[in-house]
Amino acid sequence: MTDQLEREIADLCATARRYDARHQRIPDLPWPAGTRIAVNFTADFDAMLLRRLLNEPPMQLAKGEFGGRVGIWRLIDLFDAHGIKATIFTPGRICELYPQALRAAVRSGHEIADHMWEHHVPKDPALERDHLLKTAAALEKIAGRRPVGSRSEHTLGLLKQEGFLYISHESADHRPYYLRDADGDNAMLNLPFHYAIDDAMFYSFAWLGSGNAAQRITDPDRVFDLWWAAFWQQYRVGGYLNIVVHPFVSGRALRIDMLDRLITRMKTLPGVWFPTCEQVARHCLETYPPKHHAV
Amino acid sequence: MPWKQSYTISDETSLRDDQVHWPDGNRCCVSVVVDLSVARGPDGTRAADLLHPDAQFGAHDGLDQLLAVLKHFGIVATFAVPAVIAQLRADRIRALLADGHEIAANGLKHEDVSGLSAAEEKARLDLATGILTKVTGHKPTGWFSLPRQDDPFAGGTISPHTMDLLIDAGYEYMGNGLADDIPHYWVTDFASRRSILTLPYYYHFDDQWFLMFPRKGTGLERADELFRNWRAEFNAQYKRGRHFSMTLHPGAVGWCNRMQLLEDFFTHTRNFPGLWNPTSAACARWWKQTYPASSHLNLEPSIWRDYPGSLS
Repeated sequence: MTDQLEREIADLCATARRYDARHQRIPDLPWPAGTRIAVNFTADFDAMLLRRLLNEPPMQLAKGEFGGRVGIWRLIDLFDAHGIKATIFTPGRICELYPQALRAAVRSGHEIADHMWEHHVPKDPALERDHLLKTAAALEKIAGRRPVGSRSEHTLGLLKQEGFLYISHESADHRPYYLRDADGDNAMLNLPFHYAIDDAMFYSFAWLGSGNAAQRITDPDRVFDLWWAAFWQQYRVGGYLNIVVHPFVSGRALRIDMLDRLITRMKTLPGVWFPTCEQVARHCLETYPPKHHAV
Repeated sequence: MPWKQSYTISDETSLRDDQVHWPDGNRCCVSVVVDLSVARGPDGTRAADLLHPDAQFGAHDGLDQLLAVLKHFGIVATFAVPAVIAQLRADRIRALLADGHEIAANGLKHEDVSGLSAAEEKARLDLATGILTKVTGHKPTGWFSLPRQDDPFAGGTISPHTMDLLIDAGYEYMGNGLADDIPHYWVTDFASRRSILTLPYYYHFDDQWFLMFPRKGTGLERADELFRNWRAEFNAQYKRGRHFSMTLHPGAVGWCNRMQLLEDFFTHTRNFPGLWNPTSAACARWWKQTYPASSHLNLEPSIWRDYPGSLS
């Protein structure tokens, strides 16, 4: 009996240690001289693609369509007005639906990065590769260069092989960190984002398939306070913040106004850097390359 | 896939702010939609919904309170009325018309039609139109499919046939769409440019998602958040010169502190010059004259390709 329990404890510890070993933290990453915090604005431009993938009804698709017709343009205007270079994580299919908006984003110097072909990663490795290559080709056609970042659960080995420099997906650390695959290989830089700094968590009814009992949609003043508090804490410690917006959510006029106020307030402080994710990634990779070790 | 069907319903980009104009040089359009449905979910109005104190309140005391505030501020509204409610409360509906408000349809019983055959849906639509025509003395020009609190999504439900049926039935506009924050055309056929004008709706400006929603639990009364949403969107859309549209339920907003918030909101908007407050029908008429689909609907040819291993 006790032997069995001891084995269970040992197995749990071994499992956790293997998971620990897949993560490599960057404890004291120095930002470029004069910079105190890096703030990435990242836009997930899936518009209605996820709604379509989940077979949601017509009005849900129309809700997403707002992001392509209206929201993306407002976000580009907002970032341009503040001289911010943002990263737009774009499903490949969006290139066929909203090429004009994407070209405008490229003209303004924003980064276009991968957000899967149609907002999911197929399980079959050949199809997964096909989706990633199709997306990379579609984005390259719009942007004039291949994407180097991905917000997805694509296999790290595949991303490495295709020349990707970073992912921006989970939040195992508040600062950029390296994530390895289950075999301990393919260390990939992750630029973490947290669901609490994601507009959809506050504003998008039925987000991630949640039911009515889980809805507490809220107002921009409340989100302003929460996000400012997150920024201020990271500013004081010299950290990193990745602010996730969806054009169909934050492209609404009331929220563009809120983001405008938030950015304006951030800019009153010295040393706030608003780079693209690619800029942050290249800085991390040069300053603090991943250690070459296997688990 | 022809055009972008099953993905988009309208053209690729909205009008820019500087392209949006309202009559007489007004700066911003303000629409107030009042939903007189008491339906809780996809079934539409059931006996149980009518046999409820909230329904009683919304039909009488709550509606009185709301009308007094609208009158005080000189605000015109469009009432989205299920045919069953129009038949039930015909005198009240006629009084709303006499006060200068619009009566539009909100389904036969405000039921979810998304699973119905086209023939069944048409029969219900025709019956609803007939009842409203009989009660008001003229055919409604607008149709709403507003969401109900127990729906799985907060956008309203339609079937693949609804928009075509509304066009066939001669409706001038569809009252609730989410693809834009100004009126826009919902295209049902790319080749012929067949479309119906759709007016903007967004659930963040609809009282029912903030006032004791979901219905059971703690901390569900968030009238202050609703108020801040109204104010923030109004301010932002005024600055842009676009459209602000709110949706109210007398059974919800008519209650005490909530009514005060609505008064506070209209007290706030009253300070802004150049507001145009039409009925939805008047707004639709202006839009179709000023931005007719024939010249303002810019449908890009589809560059969509079908691939094996992808959704069509």
